[in-house]
Amino acid sequence: MNRRKTLGRSLVVLALLAAVYGAAVVLVSDQYYQLMLTLVAVWAIMGISWNVLSGYSGLVSFGHAAFFGLGAYTVALGSVHFSLSPWLTIPAAGLVGAAAGILVGLPTFRLRGHYFALAMLAYPLALLYVFEWLGYQEVAMPMRREAPALYMQFADARVLSMIAGLLLVAAIVASLLIETSRFGMALIAIKQNELAAEGAGIETRKWKLRAIAISGGIAGMVGGFYAVVLIVVTPPSVFGMLTSAQALIVALFGGIGTVWGPVIGAAFLIPLSETLHAELGNVLPGIQGVVFGVAIVGVILLAPEGIFWRIRDMLQARKAPVEPAPAEPAPADRPMPDNVVPIPAGGRDGASGGAGTGGRVMLEVRGVSKNFGGLRAVREVSFTVPEGAVIGIIGPNGAGKTTLFNCLNGFQIPSAGEVLFEGQNLVGLPPSAVCRKGIGRTFQVARPFTRLSVLENVLVGAYAGAADDATAERNAREALTLVGLGGSADRIAGGLANKEQRLMELARALAGKPKLLLLDETLAGLGAAEVEDMVNVIRRLSRTGLTIVIIEHTMQAMVRLADRFIVLDHGALLAEGRPQDVTRDPAVIEAYLGKRWRERA
Amino acid sequence: MTTRRTVLNGILAASGAALLSSTSRMAFAQAPAEVKVALIAPLSGPWARQGELMKKGAELAVADINAAGGVKALGGAKVTLVLFDAGDSTEKAKNAAQRMVAQEPDLVGVTGAWLSSFTLAVSEVTERAELPMLTLSYADSITSRGYKYIFQMSPTGGRQAQDALPALMDVAEKATGKRPATTGIIADNTAASVSFAKPMRDGAFEKSGIKVLFDETFTPPLADATALIQQARSKRPEFLLMLGTSVPDDKLLLEKVNEFNLGKGRMPIIGSGAHMGTPELLKNIGPDLLEGVMTVVGNWGAKGQEGIIDRFKKATGEPWMTQDSICAYGDVMTIIRAVEEAKKADRKAVAEALRKMDITDGPALFYPGNRIRFDETGKRIDAKLIIVQWQKGEPVPIYPPASATAEPIWPKR
Repeated sequence: MNRRKTLGRSLVVLALLAAVYGAAVVLVSDQYYQLMLTLVAVWAIMGISWNVLSGYSGLVSFGHAAFFGLGAYTVALGSVHFSLSPWLTIPAAGLVGAAAGILVGLPTFRLRGHYFALAMLAYPLALLYVFEWLGYQEVAMPMRREAPALYMQFADARVLSMIAGLLLVAAIVASLLIETSRFGMALIAIKQNELAAEGAGIETRKWKLRAIAISGGIAGMVGGFYAVVLIVVTPPSVFGMLTSAQALIVALFGGIGTVWGPVIGAAFLIPLSETLHAELGNVLPGIQGVVFGVAIVGVILLAPEGIFWRIRDMLQARKAPVEPAPAEPAPADRPMPDNVVPIPAGGRDGASGGAGTGGRVMLEVRGVSKNFGGLRAVREVSFTVPEGAVIGIIGPNGAGKTTLFNCLNGFQIPSAGEVLFEGQNLVGLPPSAVCRKGIGRTFQVARPFTRLSVLENVLVGAYAGAADDATAERNAREALTLVGLGGSADRIAGGLANKEQRLMELARALAGKPKLLLLDETLAGLGAAEVEDMVNVIRRLSRTGLTIVIIEHTMQAMVRLADRFIVLDHGALLAEGRPQDVTRDPAVIEAYLGKRWRERA
Repeated sequence: MTTRRTVLNGILAASGAALLSSTSRMAFAQAPAEVKVALIAPLSGPWARQGELMKKGAELAVADINAAGGVKALGGAKVTLVLFDAGDSTEKAKNAAQRMVAQEPDLVGVTGAWLSSFTLAVSEVTERAELPMLTLSYADSITSRGYKYIFQMSPTGGRQAQDALPALMDVAEKATGKRPATTGIIADNTAASVSFAKPMRDGAFEKSGIKVLFDETFTPPLADATALIQQARSKRPEFLLMLGTSVPDDKLLLEKVNEFNLGKGRMPIIGSGAHMGTPELLKNIGPDLLEGVMTVVGNWGAKGQEGIIDRFKKATGEPWMTQDSICAYGDVMTIIRAVEEAKKADRKAVAEALRKMDITDGPALFYPGNRIRFDETGKRIDAKLIIVQWQKGEPVPIYPPASATAEPIWPKR
């Protein structure tokens, strides 16, 4: 599959890069250029660290200097106070960084978006003052003439550059492993839509904590190494705003969300900034900063997502004409011509005997209420969903349909009542846990992960129901075939038409092998022909034995699709029954459907 | 070698760096046409002003040497100054140092890098390159690492803190005939202030028989100085230690001092550091508020240097010669003196000459203590602090007497 191929290809690129770097280190005799090589590696690693958290998961951190600085001080103070060798303290600095990551993550992940970014800003600033207060304004690594190699104080700067290169390779490999595993998929899902990710069965909090621990670990490690390179550690140089910014800038410049971004960014920006500084710093002091800033602004305007993606998009655009036109999704199995014939209002073609279905109860909702302050969005709603049934929840705008839905799958905790799934109460479980119990859901607004392939999009959902990656992939492919996207697995999701995106969304929910599927306005915004296709797919799913609950506005389609209707009005249950009965109920007609429906009926 | 360079250039060009091509340098002859000295200092960033002041001092020294016939021991070889921008971070300072030793292989000495943390990073590079470096930075750690090529011209921070109180006692006694017995402290909690006050708080006051009436610490930036200065007004210590590190805080404190009618030397105020004596401070705060305020520094344009100070003012338009300029001037002079004594433009020989140096003339006059000789760690043995006092809009040295150009203003009670 292409992710494994990607990993293989990336490792080849990495081997080439490592060879070039190694050759440069061996051949360059000038210590100044050696220092440049080392610093490029240092900042590339720092960018990778930032990218592991912020690039993949989208939780922008302005505070990576906190981990970097703690690592630097671990090594510096270890050497000054305990004569510990950096060979020991650099790995220890990684552990310190990882621990700091978890400590920072625990409270800070309660925040999202800009609030998270700004909160992260506080940690290095606070640490800066703490270390000044502790009296560590200037900590210099003591010179160890007796055992220079033990203390990484090599006479030949090449050794240090080599170590930097090895650390960089390690960081790239770690990042690649994350990028191409379910770890990376989980983070990308969080980046795209944290709620959707929860809904797809991803334990977002757990993955975020893992990401910040690894990210902090890498930053701590490279911070420790930086102390060895610079010899002097001061709070502003390691906890300063510039350190966090540098990590962010190299990633932003090179490309966010890919391990190559920070590498490209560091390889360009570090020598560029240093060259500008060397050439202009004593001629027209300060102009180097202006030139550097303008260069970054220029690149960001021309390639907003970074150089890597810009180049990839250009290459793909060149390849694009070869790709099959996205017009016909060509479902693999279409042996149901009867479904295409519109069925008159009055219930679907009763394969399972109309309303009751008679099977055991899959979902039971008991007196569920949800209040938002004084607003009672859902009021004591009770109903049951028998196994294998298709239930439609309908009601006018603001009737509380989506709120009720969210109470069923853990996105909201009901103010009162119980939701029993196969006899177990779901109230209080997080969405990912609900998902893992076998309830899949789609969202009102399709949220494709546009940079990923269709298959990868679906894979995100498949991990919830699969023990290992191979099973997940098999399930994902099956789900794609089931919805008729089997032939589009390798296309980039960003290029899909609206209906295909809905189908992909459906496949993502199916890939987790749910027993109960909750569909939130899957038909909204589709044209008549597209609604038809969608209805057929849903019926096909129903026929496989899946229990389905749909929220919907589009009445005609719903009448043909559902075994039973549950009608909500002002948060309360207004009517329940077979579609043909409900649509004839005068209360329903008056409250929701209006006169026009009565005329048409 | 050439192939290496070609490969190197190829690689760096490929990575998009238009780096300086290090064209191969020819081996130089026995008697060089020029002797190269470097100044590495922050020429950009927040400390650019200090770097500029150093640059002006160093340039004047080079001009003076060349005008006097160059390096006599080398047949009148001219001195050239090479500048390196240490920028705004330790990393940039270290980069600059690394570039300096790589691209200027025939340097004989270097002065810099103003900020102690920069000096620590730079001297780590110069040590390996066996290039003698002279510095005005105070940090004790600079000469406690066992380095052989670093020479610290100013008294270290620890020594200044130790010497400051006895020096102040001398000033007061000379002016008033008796030693003060009470003091008050208002200090921020930055490193400079904390380390300066530490030895005094840890027993020096007690030993000198001084009673501390109040000891207030604040975290910059200060919002309101009323409560702090109120202490000084109600308890009336005989002198006030006012250890701020930023102009806005100093300004707030001094304004309040004036408001409470303690200004213009009515209550002697002593600060620490060269920032208390810059032209910028005068512009910001004005001569009235500053009148009588004293500060403890490592060096200053002082007695015996009038000729140089005059020419410096004329050449640069600066109103007076601060620590940064006079140190850079003296450092260049000292390095060239060492070249004269070594009789060759070889950095190791120059370093050796510096280690053996013991002079009380020439460059020695540019440093308080007026003698240049170093201990085995590279500290200048006779380094003394200077106390500078603002008098009529100019900071003038008032201590030690050998450097003083004016009498201290210290009110008699």
